Amino acid sequence: MRSALRWLLLILYISIFSLLQAQTPKTPDQTSPPSDAKAPSLADLGISPDQAQGSAKDQEKLDKRSRMLLVHQRLGLITTAPLIATLITSGGAGDKNGDASGRKLHASLGGVTAGLYLTTAYFAIFAPKVAGTSARGPIRLHRALAWVHGPGMIITPILGAMAYRQRSDGEKVHGIAKAHGAAAWITGVAYGAAIASVSIRF
Amino acid sequence: MDHRRGVWGRHRVRLDSILSRAMQIRLLLVACLIVPGLLLAQGDHQWVLEQATLTYQAFHPLHQSEGVSHTAKGKAVCHAGWCDLLIAVPVKSFDSGDSNRDLHMIQAARGAQFPMVIVRTRLLDDAAPSTTLHADLEIQFAGQTVWYKQVAFERSAQGSVARISGTIPATLSDFKIDPPRLLSIPVKNEIPIRVEMSWRPI
Repeated sequence: MRSALRWLLLILYISIFSLLQAQTPKTPDQTSPPSDAKAPSLADLGISPDQAQGSAKDQEKLDKRSRMLLVHQRLGLITTAPLIATLITSGGAGDKNGDASGRKLHASLGGVTAGLYLTTAYFAIFAPKVAGTSARGPIRLHRALAWVHGPGMIITPILGAMAYRQRSDGEKVHGIAKAHGAAAWITGVAYGAAIASVSIRF
Repeated sequence: MDHRRGVWGRHRVRLDSILSRAMQIRLLLVACLIVPGLLLAQGDHQWVLEQATLTYQAFHPLHQSEGVSHTAKGKAVCHAGWCDLLIAVPVKSFDSGDSNRDLHMIQAARGAQFPMVIVRTRLLDDAAPSTTLHADLEIQFAGQTVWYKQVAFERSAQGSVARISGTIPATLSDFKIDPPRLLSIPVKNEIPIRVEMSWRPI
């Protein structure tokens, strides 16, 4: 029994010594850290495999959306050129200084502008939508301005066609066709503001 | 040699034996209780990420943008002088204030397919309250795994909470991300990520 007690005391002493060693700060071996068997996992963070797993199908949808919006962006910039040209040539189509060739040039450029504009709008309208997202930031202004230049780009050519026919018939532009100029300038300004809203940080 | 012979001596010898044996039994019981506990006291401890702010910066001639996330989760397991850290943050949690830009970011970073940014690192379990740490980071993002060596972090303590902050010098090319473009001009390759974390022991 006494020898057993001595063994027990020895074990106790070794244990206390080990405890003191464990609690004493020591410099670990920096060249060979222990294995990462105790490293935390995503499950320890409460992240399920479903949350960590993505979807190739969703990524394809996002990729298509980005491709279409990139085309929308480029076409929108390209459309600016005939739009500006149409506005510039409006002087040669007016009542005061206009002539037939001026009106034809202005009408042609207007037609090109309208065609490019509609193609640009198509890529924005039909780009895939992402469920569960709401518009925040400058994109809201960009979308709001579409409600100005969109109808404007429909009304302006219609009024322009009416004005063109009246002038071709030798009449002065009258009635609602007189609003063609104002509609065109409002549409142009809204279009420029829409580009600026997503290009420049205000 | 025990001189207490006779009736009294014999009685005391028996009493001493009984007491000694009782003491031995008690010591035996105490040793059986204490020793396992002492042996198990190895100094393991864990930390949980209480709060984190991750901010990426993207640079464009027309825009500088920042995306911020507050939804990172993390855990650290400390053993044998080393702490293994795991931090995970959803890609879609970064908010730049512009939903359109955020969706483009998710698309460019393949966030629908690889929804989590996962950071693993190993740090010395240093008891010093304020230090500059240098950590080797393993970052999984956009389907790529990239190592950043010796990234500097500042550590400070507020009570039991440890604050760690630093900047990860990430680039788009590291993760094979095509740089997003605005008006056909790409953003810069460097996208530094500022990290500010608060860890508390559990």
